[in-house]
Order: sequence, then C-alpha cells, then structure tokens
Amino acid sequence: MTIHNDRTRIGDQNLGVLFNEGKVRRRREWRGVKDTLYDYGRWLYIISILARFIVKPRNIKAMFRYRWMANYLAVPHMVDKFTMGLRDEPLRIVHTAMDFVVYDVAQTMENIFRGDRRTGNDEKFSARCVLTDENAMTAFMMGFPTLKAILREVPTMFVANLLNQYSTTHYLDVAQQAGIPGDVCPMPEAEAGISIEDDFAVLGACAVQVNTTCDGSLMGNGIIAKRLEREYGIPTFQLVAPMRHREADVQDYAAQDIKNAIAFIEEHTGAKWDWDAYFECAKRVNDITRNRLAWLEMNSTNYPQFVGAPFSLYNDTNYMGNCGRSPKFPPIDRKIMKYAQHGYEAKRMMAPEYRHRAIIWGVQPQYVIDMLNWMIHCWGIVPLTDMLSMVNTRQIAEVDTPENREQAYYDMAWLNENMIMRNRTHGGYKVLVDELWQFCEQMNADMVIMWEHMSCKALDGMHGQFEEQARERGIHLVWVCHDLCDPRVYTRQAIRDQLNTYMRTVMREEPLDPTIEFLPDEKAW
Amino acid sequence: MPKVVKIPLLLLGSLAALFVVTFTVYFLNLDMKLLSKIEPFFLKHYDKMPRKNYV
Ligand code: SF4
Repeated sequence: MTIHNDRTRIGDQNLGVLFNEGKVRRRREWRGVKDTLYDYGRWLYIISILARFIVKPRNIKAMFRYRWMANYLAVPHMVDKFTMGLRDEPLRIVHTAMDFVVYDVAQTMENIFRGDRRTGNDEKFSARCVLTDENAMTAFMMGFPTLKAILREVPTMFVANLLNQYSTTHYLDVAQQAGIPGDVCPMPEAEAGISIEDDFAVLGACAVQVNTTCDGSLMGNGIIAKRLEREYGIPTFQLVAPMRHREADVQDYAAQDIKNAIAFIEEHTGAKWDWDAYFECAKRVNDITRNRLAWLEMNSTNYPQFVGAPFSLYNDTNYMGNCGRSPKFPPIDRKIMKYAQHGYEAKRMMAPEYRHRAIIWGVQPQYVIDMLNWMIHCWGIVPLTDMLSMVNTRQIAEVDTPENREQAYYDMAWLNENMIMRNRTHGGYKVLVDELWQFCEQMNADMVIMWEHMSCKALDGMHGQFEEQARERGIHLVWVCHDLCDPRVYTRQAIRDQLNTYMRTVMREEPLDPTIEFLPDEKAW
Repeated sequence: MPKVVKIPLLLLGSLAALFVVTFTVYFLNLDMKLLSKIEPFFLKHYDKMPRKNYV
C-alpha cells in the first residue's frame, strides 16, 4: 500500500542536478535554509576531524607510505552520498550515526599509526595492542580494558571501499599477479593483496584471526598470518567459529576456543582478564541490542526512521567493532533514539511516497552501498533492514556471579558466532532462507532486494530455494548481482539497472525522481 | 569610532567573512573538487615506491 508524504520536500526536488561525469558532485544539495545550515555545520565538524588528524607528523608520514590512505581524501563525499535527499530527523539521524563512524575510524587510524613500526613506532603502545580480525566480534577483548583491539582491515579495506569505489582494484591485481584466482571473494582477496604488497601497518603484541567459515576468508587469513608471524614476529591465534552455529553441540567447543584466545592474549601481552570490565561492557552490549530492536520495531511501522546503509554501518561499528567496550557509543545511541522517536511521532518520510517495503538480504556491494538511499528517492522503496543488521537478539549475562563467569564464555562465543555476515551466510538454510520470510512477515515487507554477491558461494548455492519460496509467498524478489568491492565486474549503474529493469518491466512503475534513474558515476569516487 | 564598538564590529565582520568563504566552499563542493585533483599525484607517488612483495 502506497503511503503519501503530506510535506513537500524543501529545496532541490530533482537530485540528478547534483551529478555530472566527474569524480565528485557538481555542488552540494540545497535543503532549505534550516537543513542546509545544519548540513553545513556537520560538514565543518567532519573537516575539523580531518584537520586534527592530518596535522600530526606521523599521520602525514602514513599518507605518503600507504596507498589506501589516499581514499580518505573522499570522506566528506562519502557522507554526502548517505545524506542525499534527506531533510528533518532522517538527515539528523544519518549525520549523528555516520559522523560518529567517521570519528571512530579516525580514532582507529590514530591508534594504528601511533603503534605502526614505520610511522609512529611507539613501542610501549604497540605492546598493548592486539590485532583483531575485522571479521571478529571484539567480545574476547571486553575483559582487557588496558589493551587496544586494533582492527587493521577496517580502515585499510572495508571503509576505504565506501569512500572510493576503486579502492581495492590495485590490491586485487596484486593478489591475482601472485596467482590467486579472480573468482575469490574480493574482500579477503583485496586484504591478501594488501598484505602481499606489504601495505598493512605493522604493530601489536599479537594477533587474533577469526575464520568467516568461508573459503575466501581462510585463504586471506592464511596469507596475512604467514607474513605477520614469519616476517614481523607477531604471533597469531586462530579463533574458529563453528559452521553450524545454532546447534547446541558446537557451543562447548566455541566457548572453549574463546577461553583459549583469552589465555593466548594474556600470555603475549602480560595483561590479566578483568571481570569487572567484562560485565561493564556486557551491560552496554545489552543496551545496544535493545536499541537495535527498538529501531527495527519502528521500521516495522509505516514510518521507518533509521534505515539503509547508515543503519547497517552504524550497527556494524557499534555491535561488532565496539562490542560494548567504549562508553562513547551509548550517548550516540540515545541521540539517535531521540531523533527517531520525534521523526516517528511527526510521521516523517524521506521521499514523496513509499510504494514498497523491502528487506535487503545477502552481502551488500560495498562500492555502491548508498544505493539503498537512492532506492528510496528514485523508486519509493524503503529498506526496512538488511541481513548484516540481523544479528544477536539475546541479552547476555551482565551481573558478576560465579555462574555468570562461566556463562560469559558461552555468551562471547555466541556473539562471535553471530558476527555480521557469518551468522547468515553460514549456518544452513534456516538462518539464511527460513528466517528471511519470518522477518518479511514481522516487518510487513512486500519486497526482498537480494544482493547476489557472485563470489560468495554460500549465498549463491541457495539461489533456487529463494526463488521457489518467494514465489510461494507472493513476495517480489529482486536479484541484484554484484562483485562486492570490485566495480570492474558490475559497474554501479549495472547494479542499479537490475532494479530499474525489475521496476519498469515487472512492477510497471515509473520512478519518483527520473533524474536519478541513470547516474553518470562510473568515474566517481 | 571608539574601541568598544570597533572591536566587536571587526569580530563580527571577520566571522561573517569566514562564514561566506566556508559556505561557498561547502556549497560549491570546492573542497572535494580540489582534493580530487590531488589524488592522482598521490597515486603516482605510490606507484614509484619500492615494494617488498611476498606471498
Ligand atoms: S561475502 Fe561471502 S565469501 Fe566474502 S567474506 Fe563474506 S562470507 Fe566469505
């Protein structure tokens, strides 16, 4: 059922006016006086983060040492992609979430270059750092308040590809020149390329890698661990998340592996596990879970507020990268909640009308993740939630008792098993297929946008089951094929065209804003 | 003009000028236009760096 917006959008009506064929936009958006000034204020804040970062000599050194650092020239451009077309509360929600993600990534990079042997080389600091796989919940660091978990791959690969669609192509070429086949998932392949070219910062007393229970991830981790251990003398622990993570009989094993990881960190850093710190973090993890569930509940109504890539990316950062360890996240959660509640009460909408309510499933194309925002403005399709945000919903033990200390290992294992991506791409058809239809029902969705990441074998293997079951349920299933972070295989427009074709031919609909149906952004950052 | 009037006026004037300059940079996307021109120089620099490739 179509929902109409009673408010007319102030300022630019046709968003195509912002685009030309260049690397960046023609100009910024006119959103009316109040919202333009708000956006300008947030731009100043982002510029101030960048300025504070780049004045430090070690960070300048890093800019000239690491190729991936050049992508960070595009930070304000990335924020503009996520705020396109937004006004009122949704604009404020996206800025609150994404500006904090920018701040958090800048902090991670500060820490990386402080300890990095080639730039800051602060040896004392480096001895307190544990390199933590980006595919890991940082749960096993919750009881080490004096140590820093350093997720090296996050700024090097994951965020870099949000900033610049071509950020990984050089590293993919390096990996393929070394003999790695081109059909491997480009995320671990690019990370392997970065390691092969020696373009990761080097720091830390030890490292913990986690399997994503997929072939690509195991391949990438193997190459990275070899260089870390043999060349840089950084011992690396392999934390193994079970494949069938919902089965009761794998939980003892998973909990034991968490104990082993903690013992390994204690051995190599000299730090001791601190239960007070752990339970303090556990309280924050539960708070994060409650807030995410509240936003999802709001998104089940006619007036969703916190949606799309910012919802997903903020959850990734808060749930996985932070995992209750930082007290800086709860105030941001509360601020977002306040805006979301106001927006919901005022029935704020992001587009002139909402025609479809969609669940976004599968692994997203990182280089056009802002497509979810484009979908709202171009076709009136609201992304209610995405696969990567459908993670743990349980409350974990948060009171320090002898029984809860034992339970804590199971909770950390559970969180690790329910890391974003892994908890759905692996674990069988129940978590990937069956639960999707439950979410469609709960959130009142009539459409599923199915990202078909062509190099993720786990997802591709279920293609037929999705087709058959969506047809039985009368749900519009739109397949959108991509290659995660390699835009040379599917360009951004080739990705959007799959949705455009479906909307025109199957749904027989016309776009809300025809000026953005085709965007000349093949050369854009 | 007495100093008590002149100083606040000067302050207000410079704040207004700062606003006009930064808002023009913001609205015309001049920051991104400039930085996108710098990127190729960095890429050339990275291409020239000696590398220690290792599998
Ligand atoms: S997208 Fe698929 S193949 Fe790639 S890392 Fe994730 S689970 Fe593995």
